[in-house]
Amino acid sequence: MSEPGRAGDPPLSPVRANGELGALVRSARRRGGRQGNGGRAGNLATAGAAHGGGAGCPPLLGDLLLLTPNLLPPLVFLPLTRGGKRCCPLAMAFRDVNSRRHTGLQQLSSLASAGRTLLGPMKSCKFVVDESTNQSMLICSAVRLIESLDLSSAAGQLLNETIQAQNKEFKTGMSTLLFLVGAWSNAILECLQQNVPVSAIVSAMSEGLNSCCEKVQCLQISVHDVSKELCSTSVRPNTSSSKTYEFACDSFLNPQIFLCLQKEVSPSIELVPRNSCSHQEADSNLNKGLVSPLAGFGSIASPVRSADGNNASVISGSGVSASSCKQKRLTHSRYFSALATSPSSRQLDDSQVCLSGQSAHPCECYGLGHLARALSHGNEPNMKLLKSIVAYQHEQAECSGSNQFNIAEVVTCCLPGLPESYSCVCPGFVTLISPEQATVIKHFGDKPLRILLTEGDLTEAYRHLGFTKPRNVRTVLERPDLQEGRPGDVWLNTALDILMRSQVSLVLVKGHVCENLLERCVANKILVVGSVPQKVLSAFGEASGAQPVTYLTQLSASCVGSGAQLELWTASDGRAMDLGELVPIRIRVRGLTLLTAVLTTAVPAKMQLVEDRFWTFVYRLHHALRDGKVFLGGGAVELLCLSHSQALAEQTLKLANKKPVKEFHGPWLAASSAEYKPVVLQALASGWSQYLAAVMCNTAKATSLFEARTLIEHHLKKAADCGSPSAYVLKEFQTGGMFRGGPVPSTGNAEGCRVYDNVTAKTEAWRRALDLVLLVLQTDAEIISGPQSNQLLNSPASSEFMFL
Amino acid sequence: MSRLEAKKPSLFISDPLTKDTVSQSLSLLNRILKSCYGPAGRLKQLHNGVGGYVCITSQSSAILGRLSVSHPVLKVLTTSVQNHVARFSDCGLFTAILCCSLIENFKSLHVPSCTVIKISKDLLSLCTDYLKSEACGCRVSVDFSNLKTLLCLVRSILTSKPACMLNATEVEHLTMLIVKAFMFTIPCHVETKAVLGKCVTIPVKGRRVLDSTVLPGLLIETPEIQFAKLLSVKRISSDTIKIAVFCVSMSGDLFNPEEGMITVHHGVSLEMSELNQLLNVGKQLVNDEVGLVVCQKVIHPSLKQYLKENQVMVVDRAGLSVMEPLSQMTGSKPIASTHSFSPSCYGSLKDVCTKSFGSKHFVHLIPNDTVVCSLVLCNRNETTWDELKRACETAEHVLQLTIKEPVALLGGGCTESHLASYIRYKTCSLSTSSFKDADYSQTQYQLIADAFCCSLESVACSLSHDDKILTDTVYGHHWLVPSGFPSVSNWSDLLSKCGCGINSNTQNLNWRLLRPHFGSPTLQSCPKEPSVKTADVLTLDCFAAKYSGLQVAVETANLILDLKCIIEDQN
Repeated sequence: MSEPGRAGDPPLSPVRANGELGALVRSARRRGGRQGNGGRAGNLATAGAAHGGGAGCPPLLGDLLLLTPNLLPPLVFLPLTRGGKRCCPLAMAFRDVNSRRHTGLQQLSSLASAGRTLLGPMKSCKFVVDESTNQSMLICSAVRLIESLDLSSAAGQLLNETIQAQNKEFKTGMSTLLFLVGAWSNAILECLQQNVPVSAIVSAMSEGLNSCCEKVQCLQISVHDVSKELCSTSVRPNTSSSKTYEFACDSFLNPQIFLCLQKEVSPSIELVPRNSCSHQEADSNLNKGLVSPLAGFGSIASPVRSADGNNASVISGSGVSASSCKQKRLTHSRYFSALATSPSSRQLDDSQVCLSGQSAHPCECYGLGHLARALSHGNEPNMKLLKSIVAYQHEQAECSGSNQFNIAEVVTCCLPGLPESYSCVCPGFVTLISPEQATVIKHFGDKPLRILLTEGDLTEAYRHLGFTKPRNVRTVLERPDLQEGRPGDVWLNTALDILMRSQVSLVLVKGHVCENLLERCVANKILVVGSVPQKVLSAFGEASGAQPVTYLTQLSASCVGSGAQLELWTASDGRAMDLGELVPIRIRVRGLTLLTAVLTTAVPAKMQLVEDRFWTFVYRLHHALRDGKVFLGGGAVELLCLSHSQALAEQTLKLANKKPVKEFHGPWLAASSAEYKPVVLQALASGWSQYLAAVMCNTAKATSLFEARTLIEHHLKKAADCGSPSAYVLKEFQTGGMFRGGPVPSTGNAEGCRVYDNVTAKTEAWRRALDLVLLVLQTDAEIISGPQSNQLLNSPASSEFMFL
Repeated sequence: MSRLEAKKPSLFISDPLTKDTVSQSLSLLNRILKSCYGPAGRLKQLHNGVGGYVCITSQSSAILGRLSVSHPVLKVLTTSVQNHVARFSDCGLFTAILCCSLIENFKSLHVPSCTVIKISKDLLSLCTDYLKSEACGCRVSVDFSNLKTLLCLVRSILTSKPACMLNATEVEHLTMLIVKAFMFTIPCHVETKAVLGKCVTIPVKGRRVLDSTVLPGLLIETPEIQFAKLLSVKRISSDTIKIAVFCVSMSGDLFNPEEGMITVHHGVSLEMSELNQLLNVGKQLVNDEVGLVVCQKVIHPSLKQYLKENQVMVVDRAGLSVMEPLSQMTGSKPIASTHSFSPSCYGSLKDVCTKSFGSKHFVHLIPNDTVVCSLVLCNRNETTWDELKRACETAEHVLQLTIKEPVALLGGGCTESHLASYIRYKTCSLSTSSFKDADYSQTQYQLIADAFCCSLESVACSLSHDDKILTDTVYGHHWLVPSGFPSVSNWSDLLSKCGCGINSNTQNLNWRLLRPHFGSPTLQSCPKEPSVKTADVLTLDCFAAKYSGLQVAVETANLILDLKCIIEDQN
C-alpha cells in the first residue's frame, strides 16, 4: 500500500509493526539519509485519505544533501517554486498553473504528516530506533518526534523552532500545532494550484483565523463555573464506570459481540461501529464493505530517520510494550499504561499523602479535582498523582494561606523498573543515590540534620562562570614536602575540614561532585547529593534557612540550614527499592513545600513518555487556572471554527456575487479581493475538518476518515439548520453527544466524561501553526551562503540554483 | 630561511559592464531585491545549507549583510547600499532597486557614459531641489504636537515588513509602543544642546506580540536565583539610591598578560590576593553607602555574598548594551578599575524593583529623569522576533531622523511615480535653447530623462507582486488594482485609494497603466499637490532616508557606469 507520487522513496525495508503501534520510527545517524522520509513515517493511511492525490508531488527535501563537494561561488540562490524550466530558474512569476508547487510547504506537509497519530487524547505511540546503536525509545509527543527527525531543511528548522517555542511556553498543544501545520500547508498548496495570489491567501487566512478565535470565545467557561457545575453533577464517580471499562476490555476480543451488547444496553445511543486496531479483525468482522484507510493504520512500517540517537534510552523488550498497547483502542483507560496493571489494582495507595476524607468529600480535591479530570483527557494514572498534589498543596495552603496549585513546587523522580502502580506523590525531595552513599542514612535515624546548598560543582577545578583561568602561571616548589601527598589532597582536606567544622551532614549540589570527596564524605557520614535542580535548592533554602554558596570557602554559620530529615524511599507496600545501581531516598525539611512525583514504569523505554505525559497534564491544569477559563473540549471548539469559517466563506461568496468588489481594506494591507476569499476560507475550514476527522479516527469514534467526514458533515448540517451553530455546539456538549470524552458509550455516565481544553495554549497553537505556514508560503527563495554553497555549483542539482 | 614565491600577475578586466556574467548577476540581484519590496514582498530564507540558523526576511539590511557577492561591480553596489542603511536604517531596498534599474536602463541606451553621468546628475539635482522645495507635491510636514503623522510613519514601516507576522491589532499595539518609547527618550528640559535618550530593546521570545510593553528606565535580566532573594536596598533618602557601575570584570581572574610566564612560589595564591583586592573594593562601596552595584561582567560570588550581607544589591552580567544608557540615566561614570576609583563616579537612582516577563526575571532601575526606556519586545518565535527587532530599530531611527527634519514623503509608491511625472513634465517643457551650451543633444537628454523616470517607476511597480499598477495623470500618484480582473477601461470601478492613501477615488483622475517602459506619455501640466491632506491613515516614508537613498542610488549607478576596468590582485 503505497501512495501515489511517493514512489521515489528509497527502498527502506519495511518492518512489520504490530497493528497497534501507530508507526515505527527508524532513526539514522546524523544527516544520513533524506530527511524527507520522516515525513511519511506517520500514518500513510490517514495521509493518503486526507489528501487523495493532492499531495502527490514528491517532496524535494533531500536535494541539497545529495550533492558532491566541489568548487566555489559563495552564494546560491534557490527559488522555492519549482517546475519552471532552466531558462527561467527564478520562476517568480507563478503564472504557470502546473508549476505552482511550493517546495517549502511540501516539506512542512510531509514533516507534519509524521505526527498525525499523536493527535487527540488517544495517541498511538511511535518507536524511535537509532540504527547506529539499536537503541530505541517510545514517544508520543510532537516535541520528541521533532527532536528525533533530521531537520536540516530550512522549513524543517522553522517547524522545529515553532514547536519548541510552543513547548517552552505551554508544554501542551504541540501535536495540534504540528497537525494544523500539515493540514493548512496542504490546503494552501491546493489554493496555489487554483492560482490564488499569495497576498490574498495571507490576508484571508489570518483574518479568518482571527474571526474564528473571536467566535469561539462563546465556548469559554470560567474555571470557577466548571468546578461548580461538575461538582454538583458528579454522580457515582468510579464504581459504575469501572465496571464498564472491564466489560469493554472483556469484549474487546470480539468486536461484534461487543457491538451487540452495546446495542442491547443502550439502544437509543447512536452507535458508531468501532474498529479494533488490529486490522485483521477489522477487515474480517466489520469493515468488509467499507473502504477503510484506517485498516492499514499501523501495519505499514513507516520509518522516520532520527538525527540524534543520544537521547534514546535503552529498550529491552519492544515486544512487551507492543502487546501491552494492543488493547488501547477500546479501553477507557486510553493509555496502555493502564493495561500494565488491571483496572482494579489501579487504586493508588496514598500512604504518603493523607487525602483527608476522600470518600466523604463529595468533590475531592477541593474543587480542582473535577476540573483536573475534565482536563485529563483520559490520563487516568496521572489523574491520581495530580489529585495527591492538589490535596497536599491545599493542606499547605490552609497553613500558610498561599495559592492553591503551584507548579513550581513540583519535581519528578523517574524510577524505571517498577510497575506503574507504584507511582505516587511524596512530600519532600526524592532522588537516587548510590548504595554506598545510602549506607550513611542509617546512621542518621530521625535526627534533624544540618544542610548546606552549593550552586556550582563541588570539585577542585570548578570556578564560577566568567572566571578565566590564567594559563601562564607556574608554581615553583622550593622544598618538597613528602608528607603532603598528592596535589589534590590539599583541596580535599580543606573541603572536608570545612564541612566537618560546620557540622553539615547533608550537602545538596547543583552541579557535579568530585568522586574522591564523595567517598571521603561517606566515610565521615556526610551525604552529598549532586545534580540537584535549581528549584529544589530554592525550596530547601527557604525551608531550612540555608543560603546557597558557590565555594565551600564562602561558608559561614549563616549559610547552613538545619532540620533536614533523610530516609530511604519505600514504595506504598513498604517494599524498599533496590533498583540495581541506585537507591531512592527522600529528603525533607519542616515547612518544605516541595513535592516529588515519583514516576514508575516497568518498561524503561517508556520512562520519557510517562514523564512527558505527567508534565503535560500538570501544565494543562496550571494554564487553565492561570487563564481562569477553559474551552469546551472534545472537538467542540474546532467544530465551531469549522462551521464559522465555512459560513464566512459562504458570506463572502454571496457578497462577491452581489456587489462586485468595491470594498478594499486599504490598498496596502494586502489587496485581498473578495473573489478569492471563499476559496481561501474553505482552505482554512479544511484544516479544522481534517483535524476533527483525525481526532475521531484516533479516538475510534469513527472507523475511517470517510466515516468521520460523514459524521462531521452531519453535525455541520444540523448546526446550520439550528440557526446558531454556537448554540448547537453548546447543546451538543451539554447533552454529551459528539464531544464526549469516553470512547465507550455507556448509559448514565455521560456527565463524568466532559472534556475541557486550555484556551490560550490552544489558540496560540493555531496562530503559531498558521504563522509558520504563511511565513513559508511568502518565501519565494532560499539564499544559501557559506561553504555549502560552494558544493552546489558543480553538482547535478546545480541547474536548480542561481549563483551570484 | 624564508621562502619566496613568485607573485601572480594582477588580473585586468576591461569594460566590466559589457560582460555577460556581470549583467546576469546584476539582474538577478535586482530580481531578488525587487521581489522583497513592500508590504506584499516575498520573503527570503537565508541559511548556510547545513542546518544552521534560518533567517527569514525581506529587509535589505539582513539580506545584504549575509549575501557574499563575489564580483567587484556588485560589491560596489551592495557596499554603498549598506552604508546608506547604516546611516538611515530605512529605504535600503529602494536605493538598491533604483540603482540596479538605473544601471540596466542607462546601459541599454548606448549613450556615452560621461554624457549619461552628466545628465543624470542634472536630473538628480532637479529631483532634490523639488523635494526640498515647499511646492513639492509629495511631501507632508510632520506636526509633533499631533501623534497622527508619527503613528503613520511607524505603521508604514511595520506593515512593510511581512516577515514580522503581525496582524492589524498587533501593528497598532506596536506602533503605539514605539512612538511612546520615542517620546520617553526626548528630554523634558532642553538646554542649548538637546540629546535624545536611548530606548533599549529587551528580548522576550516565545510570547505574544501583544504582551510587548514599554517601561521608563532600564531593565536588566537576572537569573532566577538572584531574583528570589533581592533584598531591600540601602537608600540615602526615600527616593535616592546611590549606584556604582563597573565596566571591568570583577570575577577575580587575573589581569591577562598576553605573553610571558608568571612564576609564583608554592603556597602563594594569586586568586586569593585578587579576591582580597575585590573585597577591599566591596568595603569601600559599603562605606560610601552605595545601594546598588551593577557590573557589565561577572562579579565574584564571595564579593556578591559580602555586598548582600551589607544590604547592597548586586546585578552582574549586565552586558555592554546597557552601559551607555545606564550612565546616561544615572549620571554615573563606568568604573574601569578595581584598584582605585573616586566617589564622583557614583550615580543616583530613584528606585529599584523587580519584574518578570514569562520565564525571564529583571531588575527594573527607575531613574529620576526619564530619558531612557526599555521596550520589552515579544514575538512568537526567534525568526520572527529577529525580523521584528530590525523593524522596530528602523522605526525608532526614522523617528529620530524625522525630529531633525520634520517632513515625511508620501509612501506606497506615490512619491516615485509623482517624481517621475514631475521630471517628465519638466524635461518636456525645456526649450531647445537651453541645450545650446551643453555638450549633448536634446534627444540624448530626453532619452536619459526617460530612462531615469522609468527606473523610478519600476521601483514603484515592484511594490506589487500580484496586482496591476496604475498611475493617475492629475496627481501622478500610484494606484493598485487587485489581480484577477481583466483590463477594463473603466478603472474607477475597481479603485478606492492610491498607494499612500491620500487620494480617494472621488473624481475621474484619468488613470493609465503604469509600465516602466520607455516613451510613456508626458503630462500636460505639472502634477498637482493633493488638495486635502487630512486622511487618517496615510502611508508615509522617512524623508531623510529616501532623499539620501535617491542620491546614493544615482551616484552609485554613475560610479558603476564609469568603471572602465577592474584590476584584481590575485595574491
